[in-house]
Amino acid sequence: MYIIKNALKCIGRSKGRNILIGIIALVIAVSACIGLSIRQAAESTKNSTLEGMSVTATISFDRQAMMQEMRQPSDGAVTDGQESGTQDRAFDREQFRDKMNGGTSLTLDEYQTYASAKSVQDFYYTLTAYFNGSDKLEPVSSESESEAASEPSADAPENGMDFGRDKGNRMGKMASGDFTVIGYSGDNAMTEFQSGTMSVSDGAVFSEGTAERQCLISEELAAYNNLAVGDKITLTNPDSETETYTLTVSGIYKNTEANELSVPMFGVGQDPANRIYMSAAALQGVLDDSTSVSKTVTDETTGQESETAINGSLSATYVFADADAYHRFEEEVRALGLDDSYTVSSADLTAFENSLTPLNTLSTMAGWFLLVILLIGAVILIVLNIFNIRERKYEIGVLTAMGMKKGKVALQFLTEILVVTMAAIIIGAGIGAVSAVPVTNALLEGQVESQQSSQMQMENNFGRGGNFKGGMQNIQPNGQNAAPDNISDGGGHGGFAAFGQNVSNYITEVNSAMNLTVLLQLLGIGILLTLAAGAVSVLFVMRYDPLKILANRD
Amino acid sequence: MEILALQDICFSYGKVPVLKDVTYRFETGKMYCIIGRSGAGKTTLLSLLSGLASPNSGSILYDGKDIAKQDKYAFRSKYIGVIFQSFNLITKFTAVENVMLSMDISGIKGVNKRQKAMELLAGVGLDEDEANRRVLKLSGGQQQRVAIARALSYDPQIILADEPTGNLDGETQKEIMDIFRSLTEQGKCVILVSHSPEVAAVCDERYELKKLSGKNNPKGRAVG
Ligand SMILES: Nc1ncnc2c1ncn2[C@@H]1O[C@H](COP(=O)(O)OP(=O)(O)OP(=O)(O)O)[C@@H](O)[C@H]1O
Ligand SMILES: [Mg+2]
Repeated sequence: MYIIKNALKCIGRSKGRNILIGIIALVIAVSACIGLSIRQAAESTKNSTLEGMSVTATISFDRQAMMQEMRQPSDGAVTDGQESGTQDRAFDREQFRDKMNGGTSLTLDEYQTYASAKSVQDFYYTLTAYFNGSDKLEPVSSESESEAASEPSADAPENGMDFGRDKGNRMGKMASGDFTVIGYSGDNAMTEFQSGTMSVSDGAVFSEGTAERQCLISEELAAYNNLAVGDKITLTNPDSETETYTLTVSGIYKNTEANELSVPMFGVGQDPANRIYMSAAALQGVLDDSTSVSKTVTDETTGQESETAINGSLSATYVFADADAYHRFEEEVRALGLDDSYTVSSADLTAFENSLTPLNTLSTMAGWFLLVILLIGAVILIVLNIFNIRERKYEIGVLTAMGMKKGKVALQFLTEILVVTMAAIIIGAGIGAVSAVPVTNALLEGQVESQQSSQMQMENNFGRGGNFKGGMQNIQPNGQNAAPDNISDGGGHGGFAAFGQNVSNYITEVNSAMNLTVLLQLLGIGILLTLAAGAVSVLFVMRYDPLKILANRD
Repeated sequence: MEILALQDICFSYGKVPVLKDVTYRFETGKMYCIIGRSGAGKTTLLSLLSGLASPNSGSILYDGKDIAKQDKYAFRSKYIGVIFQSFNLITKFTAVENVMLSMDISGIKGVNKRQKAMELLAGVGLDEDEANRRVLKLSGGQQQRVAIARALSYDPQIILADEPTGNLDGETQKEIMDIFRSLTEQGKCVILVSHSPEVAAVCDERYELKKLSGKNNPKGRAVG
């Protein structure tokens, strides 16, 4: 095709102009390549991590949703709502308390029903209850004993960290004790032991699902009370001193994370050293026994009545093969009858999403940058091309006078600019491929730093770690089941050990930024820019009349 | 055989009339000369003949058919070769590239284009070095000869030449005229515009254009 031959010849014959166009196209190509690479890196990092990630979720009671629901006027009152509206909408505290006390936690049966959803890959639960020690079993505490044992959560601040507070609502009293006893439904529930955060240093874990009253205690607790594997320990019902239960120590565990924990303690029971692990079945046995000997007692000051039976709180975790399954899960459980006042949430998915914050911010910025570069680039290329065409008016006149169709002339001009921009894009892609990863990582580092410093600033302002977006993986604040779940998951850091124990577990590095998708997108951009600039050529060529051009030649 | 004809042609640039009721006929195997004062409209006439301009009224017939109803691009690139008064070469291309380009545009196949172009250029007296030189670096006369070689490159039936010997010495002019003569012998139609009496003398027929001035003006008429 002589048009292409001609185009190439023309490029060669006016090097200066084409180099100028080429350089501008190159700058656009490199910037676009890096911008696209950042976006691609964000996308692929997210996808690849999501692919290999098994997601866990919990179902929790959404107090806010219920309050909202209660605020809606009942159907009967709706008839002439305007005047009576304010009256009807007044928040009914009585009803709210009733509802909260009426049992907001799901039963094991309900949990198991939802576990039958197709999306669920694995299901486990933990049962948590609070006990006091006995003469021979004192909780590990750095505070003086009298202080440590009493009023454990009286001055717990009103923030997100309300371990066990909601639980109190159900029974009308605070469940608390020196020891937190956690019962696991099976080995799969023992996530800390699986991740290696905790390990048995002496003896062995009680056999899976056993109803025998065997337990694991921490090294600290063992040392504090001179306990060894095979010894028996005695726990007391905090509300009934005469009610005692005996457990056999089957193993002693080591907690590598315990010392790092900086969350303020609301009682010795919250100290990881004072956690006792056993089988859920065994713990349920203990709780059943406690229910059978339960008495009703009346509080002297408030006159409130309560049962002495020890109540366990249940926390169920659903495991999914991937994030998609988790997203399907919500619909499935709604179909299985889960009320709207319960929410399905995934701590690890949330943490993962938080870890992506800097990368996503960078990706968004890259998107805008890309848009600006493309707009400016397109304008510059179009203007340059207009000059180019006007300068070559005479040439167009000659070609058309020679009988070359205007369409072909336009095609030749289009080919010229296409060749130049494509060459620039190929070189730009090369430069981009080499520099995209370091540039992305350097920018990401800056982004992570600014994110961390703003988080640090906030922590300084608060004087402690808080439930800040993007930073720490925190305890789910809403709902009854969230708290014990997080305790069992290693306290405060959720089950997201895979991303490191660091407080700010951001993704700070990407490794493959450039790929075929980026290359294709870049090619698309190149073609788009060429067409934009080329359209101008075509417009001008079509408008020119050879006779006029040749007549008024300079 | 009549190949090209102007039938009652009127043409004006905007409001300035240049041609009025011109009727000329051109036959194959003949050489024509169009003469007239500067500004009489000779170049304009050639533009009409080559389809670059369209008449205000009247028609131009090629082989008995109105060229207004034909593909003018194909007409220009295949059937008619034009040597412009101002050459209209692509100056950044070499002489041989200019000639080859017009062959490309005309779409002729089956010939060694470079070889044919070199032969044509040699025929108009350009040596190999000059043929491979950018047009910009050739003299006016050399450029004129490149334009002639280009017009002949695709074997058109009709050659239009606007002052084809204007920049040439007597010797070269004679050589060029010999080329044109040999073309008529091959059965082509050659239409020249020239101020030179020698050129006019060797032509088979002459048409004189009179400059239009005001309203009553003579028609273009044949003189000899
Ligand atoms: N593009 C144009 N626009 C307006 N008027 C024009 C244009 N081209 C030519 N003319 C006018 O038309 C008339 C005829 O011009 P043309 O070029 O045909 O003359 P010519 O006979 O070829 O003259 P010369 O012998 O000097 O080449 C002139 O008066 C000229 O000024
Ligand atoms: Mg003229």
